Amino acid sequence: MTTFMALAPLLAVVSGALLVLLVEAFMKRKSREPLGYIAAFALLASGFYTVRSWNQDLSFFGGRLLLDRFALLLFAAFIVIGLVVILMSLEYAARLGLNLGELCGLVLLAVAGLMIMVSSTDWLVVFLGLEVLSVASYALSGLKRPDRASSEAAAKYFLMGSFAGAFFVFGLALLFGTSGSLDFSTLLANGTTRSGLAPAGAVGLGLILAALGFKVAIAPFHMWAPDVYEGAPTPVTVFLTVGPKAAGLAVLFRLLVPLLRNESFAAVFGPALTFMAVLTMFAGNLAALRQKSVKRMLAYSSIAHSGYILVAVIAGDGPSLVFYLVVYLFMNAGAFSVLAAMSRKGAEYTSLDDFAGLGRRYPWLAACLSVFLLSLAGFPPTAGFLAKFYVFSGAVREGHVALAVAAVLASLISVAYYLKVIVVMYMKDENGEVAIDQENPALYLVLFLCLFGTVQLGLWPGNLLALIRQAFFKVF
Amino acid sequence: MNAMMANLPLASIVTFLPLAGAFLLVFFRRESVKAIRTAALAVSVLTFALALLLFFGFDGKAGIPEFVEHAPWLGRGLDYHVGVDGISLFLVLLAAFLTPLALLSSWRAVNDRVKEFSFFMLVLETGMIGVFVSLNLFLFYVFWEAMLLPMYFLIGLWGGRRRVYATTKFILFTMFGSLLMLVGIFVLYSAYHRATGSFSLTIADLAGIALSPALQTWVFLAFGLAFAIKVPLFPLHTWLPDAHVEAPTAGSVLLAAVLLKMGAYGFLRLGIPLFPQAAASFAPALSILAIIGIVYGGLMALVQKDMKSLVAYSSVSHMGLIMLAVFSLNFEATEGALYQMLNHGLSTGALFICVGILYERTHTRLIKDYGGAAARMPVFAAIFLVAVLSSAGLPGLNGFVGEILCFFGIFASSRVLAALSVSTVILSAAYLLWLYRRVMHGPLKDPDGLLRDVDRRELATLVPIVVLIVLMGLFPGAILRKMDASVSRYIESIRTKATASLTWKPATRIALPIRISGDPAGPLQLEGRRER
Repeated sequence: MTTFMALAPLLAVVSGALLVLLVEAFMKRKSREPLGYIAAFALLASGFYTVRSWNQDLSFFGGRLLLDRFALLLFAAFIVIGLVVILMSLEYAARLGLNLGELCGLVLLAVAGLMIMVSSTDWLVVFLGLEVLSVASYALSGLKRPDRASSEAAAKYFLMGSFAGAFFVFGLALLFGTSGSLDFSTLLANGTTRSGLAPAGAVGLGLILAALGFKVAIAPFHMWAPDVYEGAPTPVTVFLTVGPKAAGLAVLFRLLVPLLRNESFAAVFGPALTFMAVLTMFAGNLAALRQKSVKRMLAYSSIAHSGYILVAVIAGDGPSLVFYLVVYLFMNAGAFSVLAAMSRKGAEYTSLDDFAGLGRRYPWLAACLSVFLLSLAGFPPTAGFLAKFYVFSGAVREGHVALAVAAVLASLISVAYYLKVIVVMYMKDENGEVAIDQENPALYLVLFLCLFGTVQLGLWPGNLLALIRQAFFKVF
Repeated sequence: MNAMMANLPLASIVTFLPLAGAFLLVFFRRESVKAIRTAALAVSVLTFALALLLFFGFDGKAGIPEFVEHAPWLGRGLDYHVGVDGISLFLVLLAAFLTPLALLSSWRAVNDRVKEFSFFMLVLETGMIGVFVSLNLFLFYVFWEAMLLPMYFLIGLWGGRRRVYATTKFILFTMFGSLLMLVGIFVLYSAYHRATGSFSLTIADLAGIALSPALQTWVFLAFGLAFAIKVPLFPLHTWLPDAHVEAPTAGSVLLAAVLLKMGAYGFLRLGIPLFPQAAASFAPALSILAIIGIVYGGLMALVQKDMKSLVAYSSVSHMGLIMLAVFSLNFEATEGALYQMLNHGLSTGALFICVGILYERTHTRLIKDYGGAAARMPVFAAIFLVAVLSSAGLPGLNGFVGEILCFFGIFASSRVLAALSVSTVILSAAYLLWLYRRVMHGPLKDPDGLLRDVDRRELATLVPIVVLIVLMGLFPGAILRKMDASVSRYIESIRTKATASLTWKPATRIALPIRISGDPAGPLQLEGRRER
């Protein structure tokens, strides 16, 4: 029974996915919306079991399935992101000719992959989760079939992703060869008793880091990300920018934090990670500065945010990491849902010029997007500021002052391009042809949810912070 | 009355009432412009009335913050902690006083998106007052940054032709400084944690910990850069003329009168008390920059063709004097700097409103397009003259009191600097009176008969400032008396902490034979300095 309890969140999602795909096969062409509701229900059921497991701290199969509070918090975040994606897609899919059933099924499977990734300390299980996630995301990013950009995104993602997967497996082989185990903690034990890892083991770890860096879109492994994020259907982009990022960074965190406490290990990987974080922040922000398409700009900004979150990983600051991820979920999904609202039959409006005069014609929508962008830029009193505050102050507390300075300078660059959108919306002449999807309650629900999260977590984040601190004082 | 007031969280009410008013405006219909304007004005006037309660209720004899409210907010030292002391009280009053006037001044100038305009003005007011009342560094930073946004929109939406460039420059300059200050805050946060084992960002707590000299230097530089950009200190001033010229009148007024003061206030509240040794060792360098600013700003003001940029450069010059006084690190200079901050707020605010009034009539700000306006606008000419003379420091008006206090204090620190700083009097008299002569006298240039004298609304905007200019010139004691204890406490605290390494010659008693009496009843008088 307890084993079932542990698996329940996962089972709910997977069976939901199968059910959706099964029902879809028997449905008429016209109305696919019920599939969305089934998927949403599956996610809610999974959420229910996640909450029930909160006080139990379950661990099964010799640690291969670990439902500590850290994992459960991330489960909750994945469920929210799944719900957001599905609600966003209800209308969007119909308008752009996507198959909602496939979309919902794949999203649920991807969520299952994410859950597997973060709830294990066994490399092989992590790889399993990673592959479930990857296969689902390749298909998701190519869902807009007639669109060349979408097909290109899927092909690119698939090819590069396969390479990353191969790196991961090869790294695993090397690690297993040197340490004789595929468990994080054994690896750690072997790492500390000898003075560091064996060279082959270190190479293996490096390969795994590269593969995870690929998933999270950390420079220099980020090249695929802008094309995929831009080409994928907008709800899928929301998923791709948040879900794999959160899971990948959580795995990195679980792996690296104990390892970075080891001096000889930290001497090698500490500078490398710092370099990657700085490179990611600057590469993402500088490239975003030059974009003409808002969607592509947000894609680059998402890379930059990977860099900020990596700072929390380097500082070993779990609470800030989770807080940042949750906040990022809301503000990023919010910004993209405004983009999703700006679509018509068969196409989306994503160019910067399409936003001209939005502030006059759709003041509420423009105001929402402004709040999300300002939060992404890190202005108080939005949640984005608080998230950055916690992450960067954690870095300073751990002695990474230079990293924190680099991070704030990078966010200064980001202010320039986030504000550019606001300037265009409010201070440029109108663009008459863009029509907004006014009657889409599900999308507006998402928008409201994200707005609420962005503002509430900026002003009164007490509840979430309490949960996060509970989680970490138990785990570490 | 007193018992009732004691229970009211007056500082919070004054801070957040404008914000509440701003959200009230959201429910107004976009078309009912007049109702929106009236409501915004009413909210800001009410805020000022409550701020006056702060003033009258403020005792100020102990030199500690009063009206203190402290509540947990985010935990781990990130608390809600507000209050006013003799240093911040008058800046709160200044912000609360000028916001309604700025709203009134844009009654006709702003016709487009009045709802948003009033919304941002009120949000800005909350931001400004919030910065001054914060006693917690985190809260301070939140207000400090949050305040940028309404100003960004005010310039960007209702500004002049190059508004987008100006407002982007404004926000990037200021954020560059404040983000480095944020890192400084992190360093202090973790230093406090390391020193005491608990978390706090209360400013008074942070002043209590001993930082190593190297750390002090770096963190002071981080904070100092943020404040120096805001003041703005030469050579970081380049955003200011652009922002001022492009901003709408109301934006210029609040930018010059209140936002610039935040830089100087930042030094007084944080930069110097938290890092006294570093501040003392950087004081000579910063003083030299301030002197350069005084002379450079004055000379630039002399050659401006646009009235608004003339006033903007005069701000650079006047803020230079204030910074010089702040870095003299003695009682008279600090009090003078504070007083001069209020004066500059009033006189520059009045000047910007005057320029705005002229612009509304003729739609040009170029000095060469004007001439002999006094003939058509006698009342306006008189008011404009008072503002000009106040800014130039004519005895009997407020500017004189502030400047003389500053000069005394600066003289006590360094005679050379004092001698150089007096150039501000000459320069400001030159560019302001020349401006006045060119615009108001000479042959009348008004071919289309556009120059009407001020109407009742414009009088209502300007007369309160003029009255205050005169009152503050005649009865400085009423204000100085409430500052005294806080300022002397501030000076004591930095003296005791920085004596060891004070390379900057501290003021001696002998060098200061006189001080201005703090007697509210009598007019300005000089008397022998009492031993304190």
